[in-house]
Amino acid sequence: MPLRSVSAAYLAQAADLASNPGQQAAYDSTGHCVVLAGPGSGKTKTLVLKLARIMAEDVRAPRGAACITYSQECARELTRRLERLGLREAPNLFIGTVHGFCLRHLLMPYGRLADLPVPFPLAVATQRQSDQAMKRIGDRLFGVGHPNKPMDLGRHRRSILDRASEAWTDEEELAAWAEGYEAELRRTGLVDFDDLVIFGQRLVSEHDWVLPLLQAKFPVLAVDEYQDLGVALHRIVKRVAFDGGVRLFAVGDPDQSIYGFTGADGALLQELAERDDVERVQLQLNYRSASRIVSASEMALGEVRGYQSNDPDRQAVIAFVECNDGLEGQAAHAVAEIIPAALAAKPGRALGDIAILYRDYRAGDVVAEAVAAAGLDFVRVDTAAPYRKVALTSWIEDCAAWCAGGWREARPQLRGLLDRWIGFHRARISDAEARAELQSLTRLLWSLRVEEGLARDFVAALRAGMLDALMAAEPSVADQREQVDRMSAALALGGPLADLDLASLGGRDGSPLHLNLLTLHSAKGCEYDVVIMVGLDLGSLPWRNELPAARRESRRLFYVGLTRARDEIHMLYSGYVDTRSGRMHWGRSPFLNELEARMQEAEGD
Amino acid sequence: MRISRIRISNFANFSDIDVETGDSIVIVGENKVGKSNFIRALQLILDPGLSERDRQLGLEHFWDGLGEGKLGETIEISVDLTDFTGDPRLMAHLNDCVVDPGPPMVARLTYRFQPKANLGRDPESLADYEYVIFGGDDPDMAIGSSLRRMLPLDVQVALRDADKDLSSWRNSPLRPLIEQLATSLDEDAREEIQQQVNEAQAELAGHAEVVTTAQRISDRLIAIAGEQHAVPLTLGLAPTRVDALLRSLRLLIDNGARGVGDASLGTANLIFLALKSLELDRLVTDGERDHTFFVVEEPEAHLHPHVQRLVYRYFLGGAANDQEDTPPLTTILTTHSPHIASVTPIRSIVLLRHDAAEDATTAVSTATAPLTERDEADLQRYIDVSRGEIFFARGVILVEGDAERFLIPAFAEALGIPLDMLGITVCSVSGTNFTPYVKLLGPQGLNIPHVILTDRDPNGANPPLVRRRLINVLRLVENGVNYTPLDADAVIARAEPFGYFVNSNTLEPELFCGGLAEAMQGVIEEELSINQATRDLIQGWVDDTDTLDEERLIKLIERIGKGRFAQALAPHVDEDTCPDYIRQALEHIRDAIA
Repeated sequence: MPLRSVSAAYLAQAADLASNPGQQAAYDSTGHCVVLAGPGSGKTKTLVLKLARIMAEDVRAPRGAACITYSQECARELTRRLERLGLREAPNLFIGTVHGFCLRHLLMPYGRLADLPVPFPLAVATQRQSDQAMKRIGDRLFGVGHPNKPMDLGRHRRSILDRASEAWTDEEELAAWAEGYEAELRRTGLVDFDDLVIFGQRLVSEHDWVLPLLQAKFPVLAVDEYQDLGVALHRIVKRVAFDGGVRLFAVGDPDQSIYGFTGADGALLQELAERDDVERVQLQLNYRSASRIVSASEMALGEVRGYQSNDPDRQAVIAFVECNDGLEGQAAHAVAEIIPAALAAKPGRALGDIAILYRDYRAGDVVAEAVAAAGLDFVRVDTAAPYRKVALTSWIEDCAAWCAGGWREARPQLRGLLDRWIGFHRARISDAEARAELQSLTRLLWSLRVEEGLARDFVAALRAGMLDALMAAEPSVADQREQVDRMSAALALGGPLADLDLASLGGRDGSPLHLNLLTLHSAKGCEYDVVIMVGLDLGSLPWRNELPAARRESRRLFYVGLTRARDEIHMLYSGYVDTRSGRMHWGRSPFLNELEARMQEAEGD
Repeated sequence: MRISRIRISNFANFSDIDVETGDSIVIVGENKVGKSNFIRALQLILDPGLSERDRQLGLEHFWDGLGEGKLGETIEISVDLTDFTGDPRLMAHLNDCVVDPGPPMVARLTYRFQPKANLGRDPESLADYEYVIFGGDDPDMAIGSSLRRMLPLDVQVALRDADKDLSSWRNSPLRPLIEQLATSLDEDAREEIQQQVNEAQAELAGHAEVVTTAQRISDRLIAIAGEQHAVPLTLGLAPTRVDALLRSLRLLIDNGARGVGDASLGTANLIFLALKSLELDRLVTDGERDHTFFVVEEPEAHLHPHVQRLVYRYFLGGAANDQEDTPPLTTILTTHSPHIASVTPIRSIVLLRHDAAEDATTAVSTATAPLTERDEADLQRYIDVSRGEIFFARGVILVEGDAERFLIPAFAEALGIPLDMLGITVCSVSGTNFTPYVKLLGPQGLNIPHVILTDRDPNGANPPLVRRRLINVLRLVENGVNYTPLDADAVIARAEPFGYFVNSNTLEPELFCGGLAEAMQGVIEEELSINQATRDLIQGWVDDTDTLDEERLIKLIERIGKGRFAQALAPHVDEDTCPDYIRQALEHIRDAIA
């Protein structure tokens, strides 16, 4: 019999899918399949089980499957859940971002052969290098203090792939800036993250010979959060799936497309789903939210989706709350009234079951101040967070979890930590080297196990022991090193996380004892008993005078916020916003007006 | 999939070789020229059985020509693989190893033994060395053991231990087959076997004589150890549990009369190869391998020449005859058997040769010789065992037919040029089409020194046939010459420096007129019963060679057979009767290989 390295744990769990026809259909699909998954519909579970099944039944090493997802965090979650099914990342199973995929599986093996106009060996610019090059060129072209925004530059590069097209040249300044910036990077021997995807796309589009190679290695390509991935990945997907014979399993929800500013577009998933050669599966049942929340979310979206709650009898709270004193007042109200009441409302409910959601980090600062003043522990996820989640920082956190006691129950599994360590090496390393490294790493982690200790000491020991050497030797993790340095700085004496203990570093997300503070964007994929949205005023959500497309995206952002809640939604507003030119009484968010009206209408019937 | 190119530098006998290869690889060469080291080089990349220690080489593995300068040098061996795009599993294995997207797509695997990367100084000993095995052009793309496991190089060293391997259960290639048999038996079949064996056992054990003997042993046991310690004894055939029974199955020969241990070495080798071949099939079917590079070193050992040809036609040619089901197998042989060379696909020869000037072994192959399909077919058809010798020769004399084949060695001996000792082979091309042989032996092929002996063959008023014949050959070895204005003699003069020599007529009449008339007369009269008139005619020719009727003479000789005639004439030749063109050719080839 052929040897299988995949456990059969997925079979037991897959039995659960039988009660959900959509999930079962996706699980049973044998051709291209697009799963349109509403909020709380068990999309990740379906994807994970399907991947496990594919690895066990459809492919055999060295052939395998690649699973591309939106962010490092999403990849980490998938990895974690696959690990529970006995499935680890392996040479024939890729789980990661589109950047990682393009780098490791397109540009590194084939970039030289295709003569791509990028410097080899590939070195990815750090955020700093990239920002500096962008500023240098922008200032040179348009003068210091010019109005062009880096975000627009990024969107232009990501969304218009054909450089000869009018769409590219029409935005004259952006085009010139982009070309100058890229030339500047090349001059210093660098590529940036967007380059990885842009050139990955060029490689598969222009070189037919890449397709059979890719199909040989990854006969199956899964894509999670499709609506958040841009047009470059969409082209890669179409090319490898429909010209290259790679089987596609794409999962997403166009209603939750909230990254338009990066060039993402929910319509791309719709386009795939409508093809004749693609099986379209809709997941309708919402396992997360109470019935009233499910229907209120649909009203907020303004589209009929026909989603059903799995638990129609569950009670829900949907509250529109006007607060004085603007954002400060809203934060104070949340801390003083809503949170204590929510904690009391259900036995066993903890701070970790509650989240405060806001539009951007400036609002986050206001909320964090109020929460800290009240003496509540919290986790904050937004751009003002002390460090960004990248593969290395996530790995450090997971090592912390293991050393702080996780080793007893193998959560996370040591094997997975070791595999990820090997994965940080730019290329495959020899068996002997790998063995030696893993022995040292195991010894190091074993020696760092403590019941109680400061995260600071742990990270310092890990860095001194092995991590610094890795970061010095591997140019491909240079950009992540920045985040590791920021992590160390935050943990240092006087830093914002100076007192963090090891267990908390390991459990920084999903910790039961920390209130969650997140931007709406970061909340995607998360769920909480109680969701408190602040800043729901016109001029904040939505911004004032948004164009129709931007307005639709703001509405989807609002929808994403609502659909995070299991039991309670609290929508806080003041009726005015504070702007640079003073307080503007533009009224509360029109989304609230609509929602309230529709709910009254529906409940009046 | 096949190996399309092999490069070796600074390893063992090899300073720097780069050889292109065909579907299978048959490595020929003299003893000690490095055939085994060539295989060893491939093992460093592809053999899963080699340990890390085996791959950490010693100073003795560096090319000797490096002398005292070995430390600091790098040993590098690479194989290029191609024709794998039809199998996605192979493509997946070789994904990171592609060096040319093609078509045809080419992947490369490289072994490199080098001073450690971060040494920062000159290496002081081999402790400062490391090896890397990588794919493609990027030394960072390390190749792990899983690739070697799935695409292994499986070396059968000269098959002298077949008998031992067959008799040990653990290493026996029979074992997997028996195990497969054991799992495929259903309950009914097992029960039936069990019952039959029990019955046979009971019958045998029930015989009075058997019972008595068992009793005698039992009694003595009791006498020695007492009732308490003695175990009950019976005599039986075999353990009766089915699985144990199956494991005790042995291969028997001669209708079960003898075990395979009693077989001749040749038979044991044959059986071993058959079992091995079945095992290779099984490993692929079971998904334990995706391709096998099957190496047999000197397979001729202990095999009868006929059997050598049959066996290796099976391993080398099987794939070509049966395109539907090409086994995922690349056969690699080392040999000095012309029998094997004669069944080798013409494109598969890799010739290793010692280059005295360089003190290194060089490699050439037939894979890229400029042969047309028709040339290839012709050569394949004509290269028999005796012509197979050309692959092992240091020099080749190409001749038209059997007459020359028997007479040239005789003249050579008369001239004091010992062909066998010099490693020079006389090869008849059975006709006048020398072109494929020159392509095969020429600088774009095996690069073996060679000369041609051919007849002028006058053609009435037209230019003699040899003109066109020589022009065809000259075109292969010199460029940009316009032959149109050259007459036959001018062409012949051009050809001589290349070692192509022509007589003034036809061999036999030339010999007759060159002093062998009486000897030839003797042979004809001995071999043929001819009437007096003919005898007189021949006598007339002998008396005055100017009266010779060439056509008539050749007719007479053809009645005997040119080969037989030449054999009979051979003992009579001497230095003085050697025609000039033969002497020139022999001296030319002698000097060429010196």
